[in-house]
Amino acid sequence: MSDTSIKISAKTPAPAGNGMRADLAIGIVFLVCAIAAPFVIDSKYLIGQLIVGLFWAAIAVQWNLLFGYAGVFSLAQMALFAVGGYGTAMTATYLGFNIWMAILSGAVAATIFSMLVGLACLRLQGVYVALLTFAISNVLYLLIVTDTACYEMIGTTCRQFTGGPSGFSRFGDFGMRPVLRGDWVKGNYAIVLAGFVLTLLSSWVIIRSPMGLAFKALRDNQGYAIARGINRFHTQLLVFGISAFFTGLTGGLYAAHFQAIGPSVFSMNTLLFIMAIAVVGGTGTFWGPVLGTIVLMVADEVMRDAGQFRTLGLGLLIAVFVVLLPRGIVGRIGDFLTSIRARQNAPRQGD
Amino acid sequence: MDIIIAILVTGLTNGALYALATLGLSLVWGSMGMLNMAHGSMLALGGYMVFTMAVGVGLPVWTGFVAAAAAGAIFGGLLYFGVVRPLLKSGGPGFETSVMIATVGISIALENALLLSFGGQPLSQPFAVAGSVNLGAGVMPWLNVTIVVVAVLVMGAMGFLISKTKMGRAIRATAQNRDAALLMGVPVEWTYLQVLGLAGALAGICGVLLSAVTQLSPTLGADPMLKAFIMCVVAGLGNLPGAVISAFGLALIEAAVQFGLGARWGFPVLLMLVIAILIWRPNGLFGRAQIRRM
Repeated sequence: MSDTSIKISAKTPAPAGNGMRADLAIGIVFLVCAIAAPFVIDSKYLIGQLIVGLFWAAIAVQWNLLFGYAGVFSLAQMALFAVGGYGTAMTATYLGFNIWMAILSGAVAATIFSMLVGLACLRLQGVYVALLTFAISNVLYLLIVTDTACYEMIGTTCRQFTGGPSGFSRFGDFGMRPVLRGDWVKGNYAIVLAGFVLTLLSSWVIIRSPMGLAFKALRDNQGYAIARGINRFHTQLLVFGISAFFTGLTGGLYAAHFQAIGPSVFSMNTLLFIMAIAVVGGTGTFWGPVLGTIVLMVADEVMRDAGQFRTLGLGLLIAVFVVLLPRGIVGRIGDFLTSIRARQNAPRQGD
Repeated sequence: MDIIIAILVTGLTNGALYALATLGLSLVWGSMGMLNMAHGSMLALGGYMVFTMAVGVGLPVWTGFVAAAAAGAIFGGLLYFGVVRPLLKSGGPGFETSVMIATVGISIALENALLLSFGGQPLSQPFAVAGSVNLGAGVMPWLNVTIVVVAVLVMGAMGFLISKTKMGRAIRATAQNRDAALLMGVPVEWTYLQVLGLAGALAGICGVLLSAVTQLSPTLGADPMLKAFIMCVVAGLGNLPGAVISAFGLALIEAAVQFGLGARWGFPVLLMLVIAILIWRPNGLFGRAQIRRM
């Protein structure tokens, strides 16, 4: 196993000095497109899909930070998202928080939850982490769905403390309806986009910071990194918590946008979709999750016509991508660029 | 007294089923370092094969067992040629994780294919054993006895195959050190294919037994697979006898908690226990710490 990890480090080209300029250029293009979108598109459905895409991209960016950069294979990403969403809904419902406070407390709740999960799981390695986080999110789902004890009565129906199988709804929204009237979706889009940009920026800063170097080192050669004085447990716990904060924030925005949150967010299919986004785009590449979201959302829309075969197609698509393009689209492009550069440099060295 | 018998009957039946599911997972993990996330849907495939043979075609039920094992083995083979071999060849980043993600995709596709061809409504499994034996205070259905007996027979056959035959020796050698086995003339690729076929056949048989106590549905394997994963982890991934022991042990504890605290708490308590065990012994109860070279 140790030699495969060496292979990875050899294959992953170190970001060149102009990587920062390239990131900035791509970022500006992306931002211009994203800001222009609501002025160009008039269909409410399409804007709604763009918002959903931003949610998935934000989760995928955080999962990629965790898996692609820090090498922590966590399957609890949707559970953290759900804790963020549920935290928002529950603090707004039970404590009467306004929606912004509620979203913030959802994100904090997700961070605290991730710390507990991390304390239990991160002492372990690789697949063990994946299995335990998978099991923990399943337990959380089961406990919510099978919750039958009445917490309070609303009219004639009883509501469980965790919302039970039906979840929470009508706990407040972004308050865009009275301001923008018919265009309230565009207002929501702006807020979600702001949240996404914040998520993206934070992960960029983390990846470029000394801390980012530390967890890339841990991913590439754990033994060597530890020997150089990096504390694996602390570093991974830290990145787990940071990623959980932004995932929880996205969960809160999701709950506020849809004005509802239910146990369906835990579903394996959603987690799979997030993983597919990261894998198709390219794990361990900064723009991979963003590109992956665009590709998969478009593929999803196209396959919507195929109706019942959509899930089947998505499953096969993931398998095919992993087998044929193991480093994703962005990774492939990166390989292609380095090979061109190498070819350009070769004759000069011969002179 | 009747509660103790009920716990024993449930615990032992579930234990036998979990042990079969765990064995397939652990075999594949131990010999090739591959976590097969499609194992659960292979259980469902086995269950539906019996349904097809007995209800669809009208053959006797025992042919269903053969068909289930064969379908599982063939699917395992397809998995090898479609996913595992290309991934091993390309040597992409981390075989361990990419094979896991790929098999998640395959699993979703297979479950969806079953859903499309048989429909989502739960079907009842044609394989059934009627009647029960009275044990004074409680009853023990013959079906549960049959499940335990079949599971133990299959496990015994597996044990013989792994420890006594040439094929088993090749599998163990590959598991210990792939490169050394290759140098000693063990056809490693052929061994991998055998392992996946064997695990598929185990999954098929396990699926038949499992759907006899529950019902046939495309997601029938999801819950047992999750528990099988946990049992593998407790035993230390890849440790076959340990996997069987922890499957029975954890199933008995789960049954006791379910009877004592209510069905809802069975799995959460199990998980707490597992986390505690892993904090105490990070490589599982029976696993040995790996020494890795840089």
